[in-house]
Amino acid sequence: MPLSVSLSIEGDTTVIELTGELDAKTAPDFHRTIEKAAGHGTQTVEIRMAGVGYMASAGLRSLVFAQQKVANDVTIKVVGAIEPVSRTIRTAGLDRSIVLSDE
Amino acid sequence: MTTVTDMVELARSSCVLEVPATVGALGEIATFVLRLAGAAGLDKGAAYRLRLAVDELATNVVMHGYRGGGGRITVRGRSGPGGVQIVIEDTAPPFDPVEGRLPPAPGVPPEERRIGGLGIHLALTSVDEFGYAHRDGRNISTLTVKAEGTDRCPPRP
Repeated sequence: MPLSVSLSIEGDTTVIELTGELDAKTAPDFHRTIEKAAGHGTQTVEIRMAGVGYMASAGLRSLVFAQQKVANDVTIKVVGAIEPVSRTIRTAGLDRSIVLSDE
Repeated sequence: MTTVTDMVELARSSCVLEVPATVGALGEIATFVLRLAGAAGLDKGAAYRLRLAVDELATNVVMHGYRGGGGRITVRGRSGPGGVQIVIEDTAPPFDPVEGRLPPAPGVPPEERRIGGLGIHLALTSVDEFGYAHRDGRNISTLTVKAEGTDRCPPRP
């Protein structure tokens, strides 16, 4: 089940847009994009997940990886995640360090 | 009242999927599980939980059970009006998910987090019932998700 990943810069925000399913098979694509995004040095990394219908713990691993790759003062935002996906993020406690946003 | 045991009796002829223990086979397992969820009339949330649980346990078998050494995973499923029961079997070294779970530790800094055990925690907290046995050299995990979407006692108007 495929995942499409796009990367762009909007002002001081690096935007990663994901569409599809994020599991052990597809998470490596997300992982590689995070590495590129971390190199951009923007203040915010915004991960748009409205198009993600499913996320397994492999996706959590990528989000933790993102936190490790960016500088301490960089904000990571997850935007538009559907309820079961944001529940998974909250279960892992990542909502304490990642901003979960509906819009 | 229909219990899960009745449900299993109703659907005595289980569906079986046997796949190589590879990351590439996870999609096939997901399709199999979602089809059973649809047959049982699980609502979207329950179907998602079932898929997540089976996916996490199967991923764990692929990544840590066989350790890339190859092997097979057998997934059996039964669906009925009461829900879905899935049995996952593998011949990797004995591993009891209940002992291997790692509850989240929100206070732990991201760089020190272990995510592997958290996947199992996600799996175990997503199902209504979970059982594990090791028999004849096989790990056997049994997961049940009940069909809350088919509530026989709907709320009064």
